[in-house]
Amino acid sequence: MEPLIGMGVLALMGAAATVAGASEDLESDVGSQSNPNSQVQLAPQMMYPHRIYNKAISGEPPSNALMCAVGGTVATVLMSAYNMSPVFAIAMGALIAALVHGTYSVTAFFGRPTSQKRFKQPVYLDILWSHTPVIMGYSYITTFCILVISYLMVAVLGHPFPLPLLAFIWGIAIGAVGSSTGDVHYGAEREFQSVEFGAGLNAANSGNIVRKGESGLRNGFDNSWFCAKFGGPVTGIAFGMVVFLSGWVTTVFDPARGDAIGWLSVVAGAFLVFIMILWNRKIEVAARAAYGPYKEDEVAA
Amino acid sequence: MSAGGPGGEAHGGVAPGKMIAFGVLGGLIGIYAAHFLSIINPAFSFIGALGAICAIVWGADAVRRVCSYGLGTGVPSIGMIALGMGVIASLFGLAVGGIAGPIVALIAASIIGLVIGLLANKVLGMNIPIMEKSMVEIGGAGALAIVGLSTTMAGTFMFDEVLALVVAPGYIAVIFIAGGMGILHPFNACLGPDEEQDRTLAVAFEKGGIAMIIAGIVSMVVSTTAAIPTIMIGAFIWYISFAKFYELTKRDAYKVLGTGLLPTEEELQ
Repeated sequence: MEPLIGMGVLALMGAAATVAGASEDLESDVGSQSNPNSQVQLAPQMMYPHRIYNKAISGEPPSNALMCAVGGTVATVLMSAYNMSPVFAIAMGALIAALVHGTYSVTAFFGRPTSQKRFKQPVYLDILWSHTPVIMGYSYITTFCILVISYLMVAVLGHPFPLPLLAFIWGIAIGAVGSSTGDVHYGAEREFQSVEFGAGLNAANSGNIVRKGESGLRNGFDNSWFCAKFGGPVTGIAFGMVVFLSGWVTTVFDPARGDAIGWLSVVAGAFLVFIMILWNRKIEVAARAAYGPYKEDEVAA
Repeated sequence: MSAGGPGGEAHGGVAPGKMIAFGVLGGLIGIYAAHFLSIINPAFSFIGALGAICAIVWGADAVRRVCSYGLGTGVPSIGMIALGMGVIASLFGLAVGGIAGPIVALIAASIIGLVIGLLANKVLGMNIPIMEKSMVEIGGAGALAIVGLSTTMAGTFMFDEVLALVVAPGYIAVIFIAGGMGILHPFNACLGPDEEQDRTLAVAFEKGGIAMIIAGIVSMVVSTTAAIPTIMIGAFIWYISFAKFYELTKRDAYKVLGTGLLPTEEELQ
């Protein structure tokens, strides 16, 4: 393939990945999933009942892997058995995936608060009816974009893996990136907005999440509104970079052109990782300098 | 602090022995019935997914029993390991076992489960009393779920057909994750000190129904005659079990409210 076409496809994949990353993170924020959800789960136990969606489907990687694998499977069946156009098949796959994801969200929403009966956490149906369609909408966008990436890899870049398997792997990857990048913004900055910036989570604050909103009682929409300002976009950039850079090294240094060039792609990948380690370190040091030092741990006498 | 409840033996409900019998017998009968009856008419391939549902419900119950020992965030991991064991064991079983493939897969998964259970307890020192037994059960359930859904998709459990129709096109990925989530999600969704077995297993049936619908969609590639009954029966099981789950939610919840403010301080005392 022409290197220029390869780069164009890669750019398209990177753009789709950026959108997918942002929607994945906001989807997990509306419903409250993954690490920050442990505080939502703990809150009623500590006498802080709340009106926040408790979407404990599983960790983000398995739940995203499920919706992407379901989408990839349905799209492949429609393309192979009924010769449908890829765009229509991918759209239908993403629709079925969003429906499946919606049912998983609903069972988690009902299940967790119900199992907290002794802590008097009510199940609010208006939260279910208002939040679940939004969760499904975000999951549709995520699945659609992941399927676009997987389809381009199979159809244009000639990846040997079948579409459902690639979608499954990218589903795990986007869940992992969303969980590690976006969760901090929701979990630390939003749930514990009332504590000093950079204070960490003191054990005494466990479960004491912010339950009152800018207007009325806080819910998942307030959280996604907040996270859409930084956590979502930064997750999108992170996942976009994962997709773009991991493809870039083998597009520029195509292993098909010889073993030596294949090894160069490995070296280029290692070099990028090294640069990013240094870059991350500089960001962390700059953030500490700008926002004050962490409080020193008190050493027990 | 465990968010997963008191951290002890799971209580109440149907005894583990009955659940094992339900999973093993239901799973194997479903798989064999689907295999032999599909020769007469492909429409019977849906029975394999019914077997997979039995295995998923059994696996979800085993996850519930072992995770009641305070494995809050470990629930998804255990579900994934179930299907990890299941994939290896089922491909091995179907490859070497011929007509006895599903039984070989079940035995192989049980052996892998036992080894993992021993490693978890003896080497990692988790010291959960029922760890070995539960891992054997979870591995077996994972293997039967995979073989059952594969049989519905391919119309047979013969290795060559399964390899060509399920593994090579990548549908094994959706079996892996839909089966795994069916086993791990019910307890993860109902985690908490007031969890009840019947409510958790209602979710397992419901997730089994979703896995069946997806298996039906895939079986369209082989035969529409097989796909239609599978999708329709899957949807029926999904609806019945979801309605049951909502009914049990209303039974068990502190309150199910249309909307409302938070409970007052006095109410919380």
